[in-house]
Amino acid sequence: MDKSLFRYIWRHSKRDQLIIFAVVLSSLPFYFASLDLPRRIVNEAIQGRAFAGGKQSAPFLEIGFGLPEWLGGARFTLFEGFQVDRLTLLFGLSALFLFFVLVNGGFKYWINLAKGALGERMLRRMRFDLFALVLRFTPEALRSVKSSETATIIKDEVEPIGGFIGDAFVLPMFLGTQALTALIFIMVQSFWLGLVAAAVVSVQFTIIPRLRRELLRLGKQRQIASRRLAGRVGEIVDGIEAVHVHNADKWERAEIGSRLYELFDIRFRIYKRKFMVKFLNNLLAQMTPFFFYAIGGYFALRGQLDIGQLVAVIAAYRELPPPLKELIDWDQQRLDVQVKYDQVVQHFSPERLLPPPDEKAAERDKGRLAGPLVVKDLRVTDPHGSVIIDGVSLTCPLPERIGIVADAGPAAGVFARIVGCRTLEYSGEVRIGEHNIAELPRGTIGRHLAYAGVEPILFPGSIRENLVYGLRHRPLGEPEEDAAEMARRLAEAKRTGNPLESINSTWIDCSLAGATDEAELDTILIDLLEQVGMRDDIYRFGLSGMVDPQKHPELAERIIEARTKLRDRLASFGMAELVEPFDRERYNRQATVGENLLFGVPTSRALMGRSLAEHAGFRDALKSENLTHDLAAMGAQIAETMVEIFRGLPQGHPLFEQFSFVAADELPEFEAIIRRHARRNGESYKGQDLTRLLALPLSYIEPRHRLGLLDESLETRLVKARNAVHERLRRDADPGVEFYDAEEVCSAAPLKDNLLFGRVSHSAANAQARITEAITGVVDELGLRPAIERVGLSHQVGPAGRMLSAPQRASVNLVRCLVKRPDILVIDGALAPFGEGHRRQLVSLLLGRSAEASLFMVLPNERETAGFDAVVRFAIGKAELIELRSGEPGGSIQEEFQAVEAAGKRVAGAVA
Amino acid sequence: MTLETEVQTLRQVPMFRDIDPARLKLLAFTSERVNFAEGQKFFSQGDPADAAYVILQGKADVELESVGGTIKVAELGQNAIVGEMGILSDSPRSATIVAAAPTSALRIDKRVFLELLTQFPQMSVAVMRELASRLEKMNAQLARQTRN
Repeated sequence: MDKSLFRYIWRHSKRDQLIIFAVVLSSLPFYFASLDLPRRIVNEAIQGRAFAGGKQSAPFLEIGFGLPEWLGGARFTLFEGFQVDRLTLLFGLSALFLFFVLVNGGFKYWINLAKGALGERMLRRMRFDLFALVLRFTPEALRSVKSSETATIIKDEVEPIGGFIGDAFVLPMFLGTQALTALIFIMVQSFWLGLVAAAVVSVQFTIIPRLRRELLRLGKQRQIASRRLAGRVGEIVDGIEAVHVHNADKWERAEIGSRLYELFDIRFRIYKRKFMVKFLNNLLAQMTPFFFYAIGGYFALRGQLDIGQLVAVIAAYRELPPPLKELIDWDQQRLDVQVKYDQVVQHFSPERLLPPPDEKAAERDKGRLAGPLVVKDLRVTDPHGSVIIDGVSLTCPLPERIGIVADAGPAAGVFARIVGCRTLEYSGEVRIGEHNIAELPRGTIGRHLAYAGVEPILFPGSIRENLVYGLRHRPLGEPEEDAAEMARRLAEAKRTGNPLESINSTWIDCSLAGATDEAELDTILIDLLEQVGMRDDIYRFGLSGMVDPQKHPELAERIIEARTKLRDRLASFGMAELVEPFDRERYNRQATVGENLLFGVPTSRALMGRSLAEHAGFRDALKSENLTHDLAAMGAQIAETMVEIFRGLPQGHPLFEQFSFVAADELPEFEAIIRRHARRNGESYKGQDLTRLLALPLSYIEPRHRLGLLDESLETRLVKARNAVHERLRRDADPGVEFYDAEEVCSAAPLKDNLLFGRVSHSAANAQARITEAITGVVDELGLRPAIERVGLSHQVGPAGRMLSAPQRASVNLVRCLVKRPDILVIDGALAPFGEGHRRQLVSLLLGRSAEASLFMVLPNERETAGFDAVVRFAIGKAELIELRSGEPGGSIQEEFQAVEAAGKRVAGAVA
Repeated sequence: MTLETEVQTLRQVPMFRDIDPARLKLLAFTSERVNFAEGQKFFSQGDPADAAYVILQGKADVELESVGGTIKVAELGQNAIVGEMGILSDSPRSATIVAAAPTSALRIDKRVFLELLTQFPQMSVAVMRELASRLEKMNAQLARQTRN
């Protein structure tokens, strides 16, 4: 990025800026003409000056110009015009006026649009440039870069800069010309008065910027402080668990509070300064007329200036302040934006960035990574200067499966990172075949090498999207889009230096995983997940996932079949009473009152949870069925019971979360509602109280909560009200609910609910587990498991994969590395989250990959080297390669261990 | 049967006799009511202890599994509490409980129960008193047996 904002703007928008300026200039004659016309309409047409002296006609549309009096006042006519009568002249001039109004409006529209587009394009370019810089941060810089601060910079801080860009050059030129014209006009009328005006203007232009210097300093402070605030909030959100664990809420609150105070203080000082400057500016602007009246009047009285000239000067001066004021505002904005820009550029200073990659070279694929691994005089020191790896040289043939072990110290991990091309902070040389790995293009690394570290990095999205992350190197073919739309997209991308590839193209290269299409790829993914032991999880995710009939048409078609089959199966196993099916004509006792009323799954937020009680349509339906007061009474009883039994439990007690209808801090509010009502004896609930009470019974389930609030007559009325609710909600274009229908798939409900089409009994012992078993039985009988697992691949992993458990995250990370079939796989602590047994299973899985592929794996100790071809053993900075296969064929693993240990001791001894 | 009747039943259990009605209601509310078909197991010997049960209706057999097969050692009727020792001592189930008729019971979850004990000392004292009195009875029984 350029150091100067103006250079940056000029470099990328020269052409647009010049075009806009040209258009602004060409609009000026029309503008002036439209200013002059009203005078002519009044004077020439209405008052008839053009027809003075009994003339019957006057010229219309004559084109010419006159010289000012001090140049002799001569008049040149270019076009004689048409001779017209008075009425025609009036209409002609008026029509001309209308024409100019339209032309001016058109110019204005075009100029604003062009400026806006220019600003937005530059904003897009700037944001993209900054994002490109983010990808270039050096590993050292990344240690101190905060993600949320960087996000604020790209999103918020450059926004005002974008707004300014359209005006950056045009406005000062335009306004400057205007102001200068006015000033020259004054000068021409009276040199001395012109001098006075010029003096005041120059004072304005010297003092005000000086006063603003402080403003700039404060602006800089404000920007840094608010950026830090954003960073801090981000940190706290990321580390919220630690805050809770260590009860640091109060401290964090105080910390943010003091930051806000600091921010307020800076902003307030900015305001004070800003308005002070404004005051001074206005004062100076108002001073000039004072001079004009006093000095000009004095000259006029003395006869050195005629009154007409004085009036003209004062009139001209009226034209001067608006452009000046705007010019000063522009200057203010310029400084403000320049400060912001400087701060942004500083965040991305060159010493924090890697050299820009040569995109073409980086994408070049040098083919398979094969041949021996040759390490020559490898040295690594940590940031504090202590030696980690001290002049190691070794050669080992590839493909081979190599364990890396180290005595206490980070050497093994560091070595794995070097082989995995994750760091360049070493001296010496590491080659694989003919390639020096430090010079490998990214395209080759991405395709042929995979590194799985301790921290699995997952992106929000589905499991599938995370798994295929390594298969999206470049788009395959053009996206399916409208030709015109595509041309527009490409043109915009080119104009703003953005990438030409569309996110809508097919990016996933199935062939890298050895698949021909996405279905096959899914099968490969599921197969790999099974190998790492995550297949059951995927199946469960599938059961709790939504089935989109568009994406999984075959599965959606078979859901109804499976539903019937499941019902039959439950009946034949005597388990029918474990599930209460949804029936339009019957109350479902295992479902909540709210669900019974809706008889469907809400898709709109307004109908979910407690908001349902506030929904106008729903309330109307309750009212029409006379249920409002029964439900409110039920709510009151629930509230009373909750107040009675949860009293005495401290706030935030886990039992509240789990069992109460009411949050701990709401308890006193409900108590107050009940007390208020008791005082008013018999009066019905109203307003907010009514809404709050109505919300409670909506989540009530009689067999679960057992408060004895539902009897058969109420149940019958609730079933009846169902129709009223449906009718009322269907009146809206989007009812916000997907209603249950025994013959249809409910796409808003999870797959499992769709199979059950009912609710599992709350009172039958062990019902959930038995039902799940029955479902699995039906699923396997119908062969639906693979389809359900494919649904499971769409399970969302949440921000940073937080919706998965640690082993699940690690599994996804591992499969992501495996699916692209790398020539070299480096495992550095990626198995840490797994238990002992599971880990051993995974190691043998990794060892059993194709014989073509190499594996480098950091091992916790030498006892785990079984199955590896060789071991690189680090001891006090030195390393040695020990071939395990060279042992006698059939030699026991135990012997190999001993050999390794003995060799290790030899090396250690040599170094010591 | 509603929460109120469950509270009545809980009050018949010696361990809960002296506890405040509001607390018993909380205990009942935070417990689950479960129905067992005849022959269905509450839990099996050796299972981890995750809950205690109070029988509200019906009856259940206590069975011990030994080399020679299962032996029925006792029968539990209405108002009996079972499995409470396991959740207090954190030891696996020492016997199998099977419903001898269609039975409904209140399932008191271990975590919730311990939560309530730590929250309300009155409940802990009641439980301790019951355990102490059981110990006393055992001691007396033991003394009698040794004398004989």
